[in-house]
Amino acid sequence: MSSFFQLIQNENMKIYRKGANRIMVLMLLGLIIAGGLIIKFSGPDNTDAHKGNWKQELVQDNKDMEKQLKEMPAQSQTYFKKEIAINKYRIAHNLPPAQGENIWGFVKDMIGLIMVISIFTIIVVGTSISSEFNWGTIKLLLIRPVSRTSVIFAKYISSLMFAIGMLILLGIVSWLVGGILFGFADISQPFLQYTDGKVTETSWVMYVLKQYGLNCVQLIMMATLAGAIAAIFRNGALSIGLTIFLMMAGSTITAFLAKYDWVKYVLFANMDLSQYLNGTPLNDDMTLGFSVIVLVVYYVIFMIFGWLFFTKRDIAA
Amino acid sequence: MQQHQMLNKPDGTEQPAVKLEDVKKVIGGKPIIKGLSFDIYPGEVFGFLGPNGAGKTTTIRMIVGLMRITEGNIYIHGKSVKSHFKDAIRHVGAIVENPEMYKFLTGYQNLIHYSRMVKDISRERINDIVELVGLKDRINDKVKTYSLGMRQRLGLAQALLHSPSVLILDEPTNGLDPAGIREIRHYIRRLAEEEGLAVIVSSHLLSEMELMCDRIGIIQNGKLVGVQNVHDFVQGDSQRPIRFSVDDGDQAAQIIRETLDFEVINHDNDIVEIQLDTEQIPIVVEILVEKGIKLYGIISAAKTLEDKFLEVTGGRDIV
Ligand SMILES: Nc1ncnc2c1ncn2[C@@H]1O[C@H](COP(=O)(O)OP(=O)(O)O)[C@@H](O)[C@H]1O
Ligand SMILES: [Mg+2]
Repeated sequence: MSSFFQLIQNENMKIYRKGANRIMVLMLLGLIIAGGLIIKFSGPDNTDAHKGNWKQELVQDNKDMEKQLKEMPAQSQTYFKKEIAINKYRIAHNLPPAQGENIWGFVKDMIGLIMVISIFTIIVVGTSISSEFNWGTIKLLLIRPVSRTSVIFAKYISSLMFAIGMLILLGIVSWLVGGILFGFADISQPFLQYTDGKVTETSWVMYVLKQYGLNCVQLIMMATLAGAIAAIFRNGALSIGLTIFLMMAGSTITAFLAKYDWVKYVLFANMDLSQYLNGTPLNDDMTLGFSVIVLVVYYVIFMIFGWLFFTKRDIAA
Repeated sequence: MQQHQMLNKPDGTEQPAVKLEDVKKVIGGKPIIKGLSFDIYPGEVFGFLGPNGAGKTTTIRMIVGLMRITEGNIYIHGKSVKSHFKDAIRHVGAIVENPEMYKFLTGYQNLIHYSRMVKDISRERINDIVELVGLKDRINDKVKTYSLGMRQRLGLAQALLHSPSVLILDEPTNGLDPAGIREIRHYIRRLAEEEGLAVIVSSHLLSEMELMCDRIGIIQNGKLVGVQNVHDFVQGDSQRPIRFSVDDGDQAAQIIRETLDFEVINHDNDIVEIQLDTEQIPIVVEILVEKGIKLYGIISAAKTLEDKFLEVTGGRDIV
């Protein structure tokens, strides 16, 4: 009857015409700019470059780190080994390290804001579903020649589109702010990647995209959970509150349960896929493939429950 | 818009616009609707009357697919709401309880929203509807600035947007002032008479229903306890008690008994009550005047619709 695209248009209209959601966009922009200004004016001054001496400095740093390395337990050594290897690579390939912050360093620092985008997305998906019930508009929404399945999926997809928009905004604005505040000079610098004891050069763009991708796993899982809770309980506060709480407490919960073998089946133990790229997974028999399967199973469960409750339950509000 | 034959009285040959077949609803193990069956025909305004909690809203929610039908079936133009929801609901425009709209959107944006959920609604159609419900001046204001009456109009606009042939309004006059109520009544009559819509209106107020409905179904405790044809009743030419206020009731009664073959039901010193049909009233007046009886007033002491409903509902209060 009506195309799915038009339902998405409707949901987008409801998302972007709502004051609270517009404020979220402004808040993200504000956080990036504030972050840039704080780093710029409180960090070390990056103009006092002693450019000639950087190799000697790195050699000295490495000596210090190697000394410390001998005194520390094996599981804490990874970071120092990585730093030493990268310093050696810089010396060998004549790649001076950034003095203080630079454009890419800033983009990297701002990756942490994906957590904020996750929270915003949880709020958007939770309210998109629950407020139709709170407002009573659900009664006018569902008496159209459109299936309930299309309605809930339009809400889900439009919320994820909001997240994608925010991620693109984060990427572009943090790059621009980084460039404006710290200069565009280091744009073509390579990113030095340390894997399996070896240092390789990749582009910063690739590195940043990969980090965004890894962080999106949590974003998507949590947004889907929020949507499912909202569809099941029709309660925005519960959906948003519970999901954000779980997201924040996730790593604590995982650490608390680490002594049990079944912790590997806990959602939060599998959401950080970078544990496979940076070396040590939480549990020895966990692999990337295992985690992906666990994530898919949780995802499908969230989707099915959310969908079932939304499409089958009476509208009595 | 589909043109329907104008029919106030179903003649049995036409397909009903809405058909309820022994509809039941159980919520949490408790039967709420206990087997409702009735048909509504194009061009007809059907009143759904019952006290609060009788099950009007629940029935309407089942008709529009917001609630599952526990048992029985509901058809809209022959399409089952259960098995062919989209085909059935296409014909329906409705307001269930209050017309709740997106308050942070303008009236116009709200209508755009609903227009995207059906096929092919032009901007002209939206503008026409806005004009029809009289919201032209305020349609670009946010709904949160609207009065209840304006929200009711916007509710009507979203219900009529896709030119439905069935209009369902749940307590449409709730919270409206008398002028608003009259306006709604006027719209409803016009839609049924001029456009041939089948209209279902629910209310807990008999006085309202009398004025706008062709037929009234009374629901009590989830059961239909009677269906009355308002039309028949109002135009009914059957005999009914007519009360004459006079200066000497006893004498008047004697005159009637002597000269006319009408049944005097009751008389005392200043009234006389006679069983008459409408055409017989002037005859009585003429005789009384001729015989020098002073006539002060004539009242049709007919059973009101309300009396009749009280009869149907067994004397229990329905309002
Ligand atoms: N979701 C529900 N859960 C339990 N009982 C309900 C629910 N909805 C309605 N009822 C009960 O069903 C009866 C009919 O309610 P309703 O259809 O709203 O009546 P009306 O619209 O005629 O005032 C009432 O007794 C009400 O308490
Ligand atoms: Mg009601």
